[in-house]
Amino acid sequence: MPPVEKNRMQRRDFLKISAITGASAALDACGSPDHQLIRFIPEEDLIPGVATWKPSVCTVCPAGCGLLVRVMEGDAEVVRNGQLGLMQMGLAKKLEGNPAHPINQGKLCPRGQAGLQVTYHPDRIRTPLMRSGARGSGEFKAISWDEAMKRLMAQLSSLHSGNSHGRLVFLTSSLRGQRKNIAVTFTGAFKNSQYVEFAFFDERVVRTANAASFRHDAPPTVDLSQANYIISFGANFLGTWNSPVAQSLGYGQMRQGRPGTRGKFVQFEPRISQTGANADEWFACAPGAEGLLALGIAHVLIADKLRPASSAGAAGELVEGWSGGLAEYAPEKIEAQTGVKAETITRIAHEAAAHAPAVALIGDAAAAHTNSLFNTVATNALNALLGSAGKPGGIQFGSVWNSGSGKSGVQESSGAAAVQALAAQLESDPSSVGALLIYGANPVFATPAAWRVRQSLEKAPLIASFGSFIDETSILADLILPDHSSLESWIEDTPDSGSVRTVVSVAPPAMLPLHDTRPMPDVLLDLAHELGGNLATALPWKTYDDAIQADFAALYKEKGSKDAKAADDFWSNAQQQGGWWGPEEPAAANEPGGKSTAVPVKYAPAQFDGNPGEFPFYFMPFPSQMLYDGSLAGLPWMQEAPDPMSTAMWGTWVELNPSTANKLGIKQADLVEITSQHGTLRAPTMITPGIAPDVIAMPIGQGHESFTRYASNRGANPISILAPISVAGTGALAWAATRVKISRVGEGSVILFGASLREESPDLKHR
Amino acid sequence: MATKTPEQINEDLLRPLSVVSPRYFVALAIFLAVVIVAGSMFGRQIYDGLGVTGLNRPVFWAFYITNFVFWIGLSHAGTLISAILRLCNATWRRPVTRCAEVITVFSLSIGASFPIIHLGRPWLAFWLFPYPSERGIWPNIRSPLLWDFFAINTYLIGSVTFLLLPMLPDFALIRDRASGFRKRVYGFLALGWRGTPKQWHRLETAMHIMAIAIIPVAVSVHSIVSWDFAMAPVPMWHSTIFAPYFVAGAIFSGIAALIIAMAGLRKFLHLQEYLRPIHFQNLGKLLLVMSLLWFYFVFSERLTGWYGNEKYEMSVFWVTQRGSFAPLFWTMVFCNFLLPVPILAIKKLRTITGTVIASIGVVIGMWIERFLIIVPSLTRKYLPFSWGTYRPSWTEIIITAGTFAAMALLYMLFAKVVPIIAVWELKAGQSVEREHLETILAASEAEAGAD
Amino acid sequence: MGHQWGMVIDLDRCTGCEACVVACHAENNIATVGDKQAAGGRAKHWIRVERYYEGDFPDVKVKFMPVLCQQCDAAPCEPVCPTFASYHTDEGLNGQIYNRCIGTRYCANACPYNVRFFNFYNPAWDKPLDLQLNPDVSVREVGVMEKCTFCLQRIKAAEIEAAAEKRDVKDGEIQPACVQSCPTNAMVFGDLSDPHSRASRMAASSRGNKLMEELGTRPKITYLQRESWNGDENA
Ligand SMILES: Nc1nc2c(c(=O)[nH]1)N[C@H]1C(S)=C(S)[C@@H](COP(=O)(O)OP(=O)(O)OC[C@H]3O[C@@H](n4cnc5c(=O)[nH]c(N)nc54)[C@H](O)[C@@H]3O)O[C@H]1N2
Ligand code: SF4
Ligand code: SF4
Ligand code: SF4
Ligand code: SF4
Ligand code: SF4
Repeated sequence: MPPVEKNRMQRRDFLKISAITGASAALDACGSPDHQLIRFIPEEDLIPGVATWKPSVCTVCPAGCGLLVRVMEGDAEVVRNGQLGLMQMGLAKKLEGNPAHPINQGKLCPRGQAGLQVTYHPDRIRTPLMRSGARGSGEFKAISWDEAMKRLMAQLSSLHSGNSHGRLVFLTSSLRGQRKNIAVTFTGAFKNSQYVEFAFFDERVVRTANAASFRHDAPPTVDLSQANYIISFGANFLGTWNSPVAQSLGYGQMRQGRPGTRGKFVQFEPRISQTGANADEWFACAPGAEGLLALGIAHVLIADKLRPASSAGAAGELVEGWSGGLAEYAPEKIEAQTGVKAETITRIAHEAAAHAPAVALIGDAAAAHTNSLFNTVATNALNALLGSAGKPGGIQFGSVWNSGSGKSGVQESSGAAAVQALAAQLESDPSSVGALLIYGANPVFATPAAWRVRQSLEKAPLIASFGSFIDETSILADLILPDHSSLESWIEDTPDSGSVRTVVSVAPPAMLPLHDTRPMPDVLLDLAHELGGNLATALPWKTYDDAIQADFAALYKEKGSKDAKAADDFWSNAQQQGGWWGPEEPAAANEPGGKSTAVPVKYAPAQFDGNPGEFPFYFMPFPSQMLYDGSLAGLPWMQEAPDPMSTAMWGTWVELNPSTANKLGIKQADLVEITSQHGTLRAPTMITPGIAPDVIAMPIGQGHESFTRYASNRGANPISILAPISVAGTGALAWAATRVKISRVGEGSVILFGASLREESPDLKHR
Repeated sequence: MATKTPEQINEDLLRPLSVVSPRYFVALAIFLAVVIVAGSMFGRQIYDGLGVTGLNRPVFWAFYITNFVFWIGLSHAGTLISAILRLCNATWRRPVTRCAEVITVFSLSIGASFPIIHLGRPWLAFWLFPYPSERGIWPNIRSPLLWDFFAINTYLIGSVTFLLLPMLPDFALIRDRASGFRKRVYGFLALGWRGTPKQWHRLETAMHIMAIAIIPVAVSVHSIVSWDFAMAPVPMWHSTIFAPYFVAGAIFSGIAALIIAMAGLRKFLHLQEYLRPIHFQNLGKLLLVMSLLWFYFVFSERLTGWYGNEKYEMSVFWVTQRGSFAPLFWTMVFCNFLLPVPILAIKKLRTITGTVIASIGVVIGMWIERFLIIVPSLTRKYLPFSWGTYRPSWTEIIITAGTFAAMALLYMLFAKVVPIIAVWELKAGQSVEREHLETILAASEAEAGAD
Repeated sequence: MGHQWGMVIDLDRCTGCEACVVACHAENNIATVGDKQAAGGRAKHWIRVERYYEGDFPDVKVKFMPVLCQQCDAAPCEPVCPTFASYHTDEGLNGQIYNRCIGTRYCANACPYNVRFFNFYNPAWDKPLDLQLNPDVSVREVGVMEKCTFCLQRIKAAEIEAAAEKRDVKDGEIQPACVQSCPTNAMVFGDLSDPHSRASRMAASSRGNKLMEELGTRPKITYLQRESWNGDENA
């Protein structure tokens, strides 16, 4: 990593090791203490060798699990304004689930465990950087915060005062709580501005469908713990989808937590996921036919008088032909399209009806076809018909706390379409964007190459990134103002699924910052004060934690609390337990009601890019259990943790069915070339029985060109060859709608943890 | 062949100690170079760690332990064979015993170094030694590795004694014929041997006791080596047949090594008149017996394994029989059985050349046998998820080659320092049993045809 | 006094998510070895989730099985160790004294479960990743064997605390890192000498069996087998 190397070289020039025994002394010595002084770290409580536990929030995925951070005293080499010193400080040693947190109840997923490595990552950006070479060359030079702020101010003040043409665009990963409020308000205070949220897995389709069916623009909170029957269409709900830890907790309970009762779980998907691997019955359904299946089951329920059609209420009426009993969707009629036998559909409908509560889920690839809004609305209708919408054992929606006024007037957009539009606009008129601030998002990696996001960003007049790593997007920045890691920052989070209780997580920093970084919200607040005017009044807080405290004051006023007699108590209680969570809402409060205003949704077959003659295979990228959307590829723990299904480590692979491999003369681990209409990639194969013969699957996450020493130039990125088409009616990328062809290139290799010696173990069925 | 006079014998057998050809130095340099390269590879292995090998999980033992078993096996060439021959009073043994006993001492030393070479932390090898440590911790007497430690050390001390005792008269002989520095050195080594009847009597008695004592020690050594495997619950290791199987294999490979060494000495030291076809004939017959015995053991081991049809054993069984290790397995059967048996069984083929070819086959075959006992089992150990493979690294290959070079090197040096055939024994044989011997020699040589 | 620590793993709950695998890395200072070494079969995962396929497309079934040291009561890895580095503790654990280990790797051959891991090279952490190291767990060096300890450091901490408070360790008070992280609560840790502990009661389940028990290793982990769905029972 050239830029970081460079920093190190420079530091060595004036390397001064000074043993400093006390945080304040160290901090006084360098820079303005105001920016570095971290409140609420009672370092004096640290006893050498004794662990203390501090609450925090996992920011690795949108689930928002609560953490307990094990902090112990240790000596760390820290840098302040170019000075390297040895500092005795509390160091985060281990992340554990916060048992009091309603979402994860003390549990964590593997990605959450590995979140610790973000803070200590050797390739973290340690000081503000300024581009010193050509855009994208990766050449940066370290600058001081004062200089970084001055440079950013120069551009922003002319935009703010209207002296210069062009919009301020804030491009970010999905944000919540005051962090979002500050970002939105800041952006909105510019006359001409745009706030864009982008994450590859943003559940946009599910949200849109839920808004239509249930008037909740949120992913569902799934109560598996009380379910007796689970029908899942492609949702990898035990791996990465939605709130996997909460769902796994419920799943464990569903299986063996209720003496005498063990729920059944049926999964439909063309490639067996880690979640599908746990199903009692797994069916390979045709890609994009999930909605048909949902309605096929609904048809049987209605036709066999197991449930009255009317019980689905508004969610049912959203589906065209619902009141007519869904005659078109009789199992025999959809058998051919779905690839699932009619008697199976009928049997499952009867089983589900007999084992209430039964719940249906849809997610991942099933929600990423061109017709997935239909698929999802159909699944919602099935849920409503089964009587599991808003009920224990079904899907529920808690009430979500919204920080801030939400009246910033900014042009707010989100999803893939927004990034695509931004790219197109930059490409045609670069000067229309005066400054682009990027936080958390890596659209260059996570959008199809066909959108030319990289090429368009290269034209932007000014890009400032708050990134912690030089990734494919931040490498294009002119200025990098590195954020604290989440363990070093104040955190507030308002997750919208995973618990029916209202969850507002909050946590002070678990440790002092290791490097010369600053929290993004504090940087925005500083800029706001300096810019003054409407910004100073819109963002009255001096620091981010002031803003959070103000949010909690509002929360206290609105929701109150039995244990806290005053707002201050409420605030400090929340900090101690890692947040505030509302009472268990009575199930009725979650029940969707009223008539939907949306127009009925109609079945249309899923469209696929590429004609089947030339591109015979459906290309199915899937979220990686360890690398998620690729943002975790930089963590060595995640690279070396075996993928649950393939057991692969440190690389990527392409899954295909043995019969397909046979036909194409492809052997295990051979290097193959996958070609879509939009690009080509190469990867080794993993021949597995859990995939339909006409499907080629590939994990998302690898294929980074620039993303730390551990992930750079490793494997291939399936997103890069995706067709640039969207899910009708949502603006989401239809990432499962590409067709590809495949050819053998030669021998390859894939690093597996589990043995792959199938040919020599005919009796022992391990592959 | 006419009987030699004692003076001729002295002349012939002591000549190699004073005459050195340039070819000798070339060969010495080559072997030394290989040993040095191997040594530096070992140095690097100590510095970097065992990562430089091809070892992995689950194949934690491979080349080094193969070499260990192989060399310890070869060591049975000497002391054991020579002891048995002594006790049976086999008169043809006289020119053979010393070159055999030397093989024991050297191959045992080389073999014993492998448990150290293979250690993760070789600098702590002394922890196997039962010394009163400040921590009050003794080695674990339940571990077969500790049994190895005692057995090999006992065998080594015994073999060295067994080799040294009958060397005293020869050292005295050299002392008496030499002058200056050499005289002093050999004088020291001769430990005051003057050849008095009392000394001769003591020597004979000591040799007799040693010959009896060394046999159970030798048998125990390779039994214990086999128990390194048989004591562990690893499929196809955990076998009651292993101890006799290993001992038989050891003697088998030992005889083969002896035949090769004798042929080499015969050629390079011009000892045609001492190491005669009869010796190769007789050792060849022994080798034939051992080959048949070896086959019997392998067959029994395979048959019972296959018949038992235990699932974990069967995965190992099939991977050797027809899986990735099958080429090695069938090479082994060829080298240890199909090749030597016809050569050794058919009198016409049991020539010096014939027995040497058979022996080379056996040495290669027995190395492979040890590899096949160790590695396939580890690659298929129980849960198929953790099965693995093994491929040796250059470090292992070169260190292995280095030990063969070391053996040759030591042997060459030894043959330059000590008469490789016991001078006095030969003389004693000639004087005491001249007539008897002559009849036998004449008869057998007529049978075999002149060399 | 007289604790016999054991574990129950409910395969009907386990989803193969591998939270346990990463939690163990984080807790026990297990070094990653990098791609080249991992390719050579030297990755260290004290707990691994074995995955087995049954059947062919489309009738595929998958089984996950987390495998860690079974803390055998008759552990084959113990008698073979010449230095007592692998030994049996009073509390029924298979202890591993890194400092006594000379690296014969005999124990690893003898272990039928292949759960012992060797340091082929000196483990390394790119700075400042070393700051994440757990000071309660020693860092191993090249040439020594390592393996799951049942998170001994956590057991000891709880025992010391209990002793200080003059009480016995409470059931459920000790949670090894893998158990603690497991999102489905598939793993339960406890004292098998206490018949009332949750682990003891669960181990008595009719679904319980032990891994390769027939080898005579007397493992202290009980696996509760997956059930198949029986609709009538639930109807
Ligand atoms: N010269 C000198 N001698 C001294 C002292 C001194 O100050 N100077 N101090 C004395 C004092 S106060 C003490 S306490 C002693 C300390 O003496 P020792 O107890 O010998 O201390 P260490 O050298 O730290 O050795 C402990 C060993 O335990 C290993 N270890 C660490 N963690 C684990 C674990 O989780 N499992 C296992 N199995 N092993 C582990 C480490 O690898 C290490 O090798 O030395 C005493 N001797
Ligand atoms: S699901 Fe995993 S990664 Fe996501 S917030 Fe929870 S622990 Fe973190
Ligand atoms: S599982 Fe293996 S390492 Fe653990 S106690 Fe048993 S034999 Fe020893
Ligand atoms: S590797 Fe270490 S623990 Fe294992 S047997 Fe050898 S010395 Fe004992
Ligand atoms: S008990 Fe502890 S050491 Fe063992 S696998 Fe679990 S986390 Fe790892
Ligand atoms: S954490 Fe639990 S559910 Fe996940 S793989 Fe491990 S044992 Fe199974």
